[in-house]
Formats: sequence, structure tokens, C-alpha cells
Amino acid sequence: MIDSNSVVALIRAHMPDADVQVTDLTGTMDHYDIRVRSSAFAGKSLLDQHRMVYAALEAARQDGRIHALQLKTEIASG
Amino acid sequence: MADVQALRDEISREIDEHTILIYGKGTKDAPRCGFTLETIQFFNHFGYPFEVVDVLENVPKRDVLSQLTNWPTLPKVFIDGQFYGDTDILGPMAENGELTAVLTKAFQAKGIKPSVVM
Repeated sequence: MIDSNSVVALIRAHMPDADVQVTDLTGTMDHYDIRVRSSAFAGKSLLDQHRMVYAALEAARQDGRIHALQLKTEIASG
Repeated sequence: MADVQALRDEISREIDEHTILIYGKGTKDAPRCGFTLETIQFFNHFGYPFEVVDVLENVPKRDVLSQLTNWPTLPKVFIDGQFYGDTDILGPMAENGELTAVLTKAFQAKGIKPSVVM
């Protein structure tokens, strides 16, 4: 389990300008819908944008705090 | 210890054999993960043949797949030999028409038309 604020903090640690919206899908604090908007995605493919978010959440996924996530990324302009 | 090269060979053979290939948890008839089920339903909608390979219990193969794709999660989707991530990637591609173009090109080359989906 991990609370939404910690998810946001982990992503911002990698992408400081990220606008992050986190929704707990099951009420169990381990299945999340995560939407990230950041200028750090500029010039990256969608695959690479998602890889960046996965990298930010690597430890929390590995130790099981996050069991499943669905992800949407968007490039922030400027 | 698992033979990494043998697993790599097995994966490239599978990718070669199936124009749309999903590595997931469970089978097409009995998916064992919500995201795998979602991916199967996603491709059912397009009417092209696809294959699901269950790697839930095969940790060495999952590790090799993650290394090959630099992608940590399942399911993993390959189309025409190319890695496309999961439905988080394919969903937006379907919305902007890119996916239909990719599928049409891949299957036209093999002379396969989509079946009519009700």
C-alpha cells in the first residue's frame, strides 16, 4: 500500500514540474490510475514517457506497495 | 539456471509467428489478470487474429522479456515484430487512428483482412 501523496512525491522526485493526478481504483491503495503531465516528456515517444514514470515508481512496484497501475502521460507545453 | 539465449530465441520465434502477440497473465480463454483481459477485449474489437502467451508462472521468461523491451509490466504487446507496450499506449494510438494504420499495413502484407466484428 502507498498513499496517493507518496505516489505524487515519487514522480515529482524524477520530474519536478510534473502535474500528477492519482486515483485509487479499488480503495485498497495499491491499484492506481496515474495521469502525469510534464515538460520532461517533450520529444519522447509515448513508450519512453511511460518508461520514465515506471522508473520513478520502480521501488514501490518492486516491493509491492503498488500492485497495478494504469497510466496516461501528456506533454506540458512550456 | 534458465538459458537466457534459449528464451530469447523462443521469444523471437513467437513474435515472428504471430502478427499480434500479447504476453500476459493467463490464456485467451482464461485470463488471470484484469489488464490481460482488457487487452484481449481491446484486440477482439479489431477483428484481426492474435495470440496470447501466458507467462504468469514463467519468471525467467518474464525477466528476459522485460530486459528486451525495457518495460517492466505485463501485458506486453508486439505487432509485426515491434513492441507497443500495453493498452495505455495502444488506447491513445487507437483514438488517433495510428493503430488501424499499423494493423492494416501489417496484415495487408500477409493478405489477411479483419473479420467483421459485431
